[in-house]
Amino acid sequence: MSAYLLQAEDVTIQGEGVTIAPFSCALEAGSRLTLLGETGSGKSLLAQAIMGTLPRGLSARGRLVIDGETFDAADDKSRRALWGRRLALLPQEPWHALDPTMRAVSQVAESHRHVAGRDRRHAQQAAWADLAELGLAEAGGKLPGELSGGMAQRVAFAAASAGGAPIVIADEPTKGLDAPRRDAVVELLARTPEGGGVLLTITHDIDVARRLGGEVVILRQGQVVERGPAQQVLTHPQSEYGQELLNAEPSRWPRPAPLGETTQAPVVTATDLAKTRGGRELFRELSLAVRPGEIVGVVGPSGCGKSTLGDILLGVTRADGGGILRAPGHPLGFQKLYQDPPAAFSPHWQLSRLLDDLVRRHRLDRSAIPPLMARLGLDEHLLERRPGEISGGELQRFAILRVLLLEPCFLFADEPTSRLDPITQRQTLALLVELARERRCGVMLVSHDPVLIERICDRRIVLGDEQVSAAGQALYPAPVLV
Amino acid sequence: MNGSTLTPSRHLVLPTLNGRQRLGATLLALLLAFAWLVPWLFEADPARQQLTRILQLPTLAEPLGTDHLGRSLLARLASAVRLSLGMALLSVTSAAVPGVILGVIAGWRGGWLDRVLGTLADACLALPGLLLVLLLVAIAPGNFWALYVGISLVLWIEYFRVVRARTRILVASPQLEASRLLGFGPFYLFRRHLWPELAPQVLTLAAFGAASAILAMAALGFVSVGLRPPTAELGLMMIELLPYYHEAPWAMAQPILVLFVLVLSLNLLAGRDPR
Repeated sequence: MSAYLLQAEDVTIQGEGVTIAPFSCALEAGSRLTLLGETGSGKSLLAQAIMGTLPRGLSARGRLVIDGETFDAADDKSRRALWGRRLALLPQEPWHALDPTMRAVSQVAESHRHVAGRDRRHAQQAAWADLAELGLAEAGGKLPGELSGGMAQRVAFAAASAGGAPIVIADEPTKGLDAPRRDAVVELLARTPEGGGVLLTITHDIDVARRLGGEVVILRQGQVVERGPAQQVLTHPQSEYGQELLNAEPSRWPRPAPLGETTQAPVVTATDLAKTRGGRELFRELSLAVRPGEIVGVVGPSGCGKSTLGDILLGVTRADGGGILRAPGHPLGFQKLYQDPPAAFSPHWQLSRLLDDLVRRHRLDRSAIPPLMARLGLDEHLLERRPGEISGGELQRFAILRVLLLEPCFLFADEPTSRLDPITQRQTLALLVELARERRCGVMLVSHDPVLIERICDRRIVLGDEQVSAAGQALYPAPVLV
Repeated sequence: MNGSTLTPSRHLVLPTLNGRQRLGATLLALLLAFAWLVPWLFEADPARQQLTRILQLPTLAEPLGTDHLGRSLLARLASAVRLSLGMALLSVTSAAVPGVILGVIAGWRGGWLDRVLGTLADACLALPGLLLVLLLVAIAPGNFWALYVGISLVLWIEYFRVVRARTRILVASPQLEASRLLGFGPFYLFRRHLWPELAPQVLTLAAFGAASAILAMAALGFVSVGLRPPTAELGLMMIELLPYYHEAPWAMAQPILVLFVLVLSLNLLAGRDPR
């Protein structure tokens, strides 16, 4: 038994309509386990059960063996003494977990001092050494607000692992990071098992699971659907759900029907656009045109002005220079899909009320709604709910419905699926592309996933980021139209 | 889809109250019932003096006793509560309506309009509230409108500031941008997006504001710069009965108790659970 660092035996979680089936695992030093699943599959709850941080109303049952010591999973407080010393949690979206008023190095030194028990001077030294090792030597004196997402992630990692905990639990460590930063985080996480520890990762990103390797467990609605070595599970899944999940990877999507030759005038043409924000030049001399039915992808690291470009084309934001020509005769033809579907709706009203408002405002034809709803896979009873009461995928499809009723000629989709799980993402985007082609609506699709863009877009615009190229990670060259 | 699913139900959803708020609402309802039922059930005039029956203990005919001029305390208390609540309602409404409207305009438009309105609010805020009321009362002593204007001038600023700060955030939010792109006008945006977010905060402020308006009026009455006798007003009743506290402590305790319960009920009603 002592061969295992972390062992869970028949851990179940119950309460408030949530049931997580018995889950067991046994991890020896140097091993990695990845829990893969969609939102609501209960993967985060399992990590919280191990840590003893379940939300109120939920209770865990079962037995945990951590570093040779046995615990009852039901007793939340029993694992507190282990936090930071033997059990470390890397939180979701670490920029929220860091103290915004404290410099990066002090946050790491704090763990060294109070968790690892070093004196003030040694703690400072150790903190600087940690940061230097992670390539953050210059960031030590900065406040979390001045750090990029990837840097904040590394600082949080340094602070969490300062206590030298051999067991690291990472909860969605790559959420909201773009591709190169995501790979850097994966590398960082892999250090723990390489150093003889145990890594338990929770993710919905198949690519992360593949890169981490080790054992993979696929969860769905609290049930273990499939488990096994990463190579096997992620190349030849046995379960139907596993196959579905794998097929939802952008690289396996079927390509959309070709656009074909079109002689129609572009719906929007921009010439020599320039925009500076916060003293930083986002782009300059950027020219582009979107034709009806065409899908144009925009990629680039976070903060490079992808959303700003779309807002300029929509007329929501002004450009500093250059001209925009929109197709005439479509006053309501320029619409947008948002990254976070619930944020684009007023949470206080039923969807039927919102739809009714739109129909009345523009005297739309009500008979167009039912077939479009059926097409988008939206059930009629969903209309009685409020935006917060349906899933993100359903709400995003409702947003598409709302926009399509106005017969748009240009749609700016700002990472419309980045908060959806892979299967829903695939369905939503496939529908969007299909409908855009059918209705001759030009789409500008923003994504942080280059593979996705490459797969479904007719053309691609790459926006650059000097900071990234200066750091030697020149994945994105200066603005080019490919 | 048939027509019925598209027509949303229109019944008003009452906000859910927590235990303390329910207690406050009950107390307030009891006071309202007291204030409006008493003149109905008892034919007593709050101003009628009966100098042969001064400072009497409660009897069947006079359930709360009489004051130093033989006036019915029951009738006077009911009249005072009506006056206080009416005044509170009036000043809260006339503070909240311009406060909310100006706050939305300032937060929405921004720029010079925001700065002008903000400066105006700061200027009002720079004067201590009670001092402003005293100033107006000094200009027009014993007048109801002076009290009312003074209290409203003090109260509107907090609505303005809260609403402006919240509106600024909401106007920049994706939900408003989405509705604007869909072609909706400012009135719709206010009704569907802004008001549902602002309403709970405005209502909380209104309950607190009503309590402070009532207290301000009683305080002014107590220092004899507010309304004039023979008006039945809580502060005025306290100061009138103060010389007789030794002979008739129950008489003096009554306006104090009523004022206490009135302010308590409004404060309980305003107190939401922290999220």
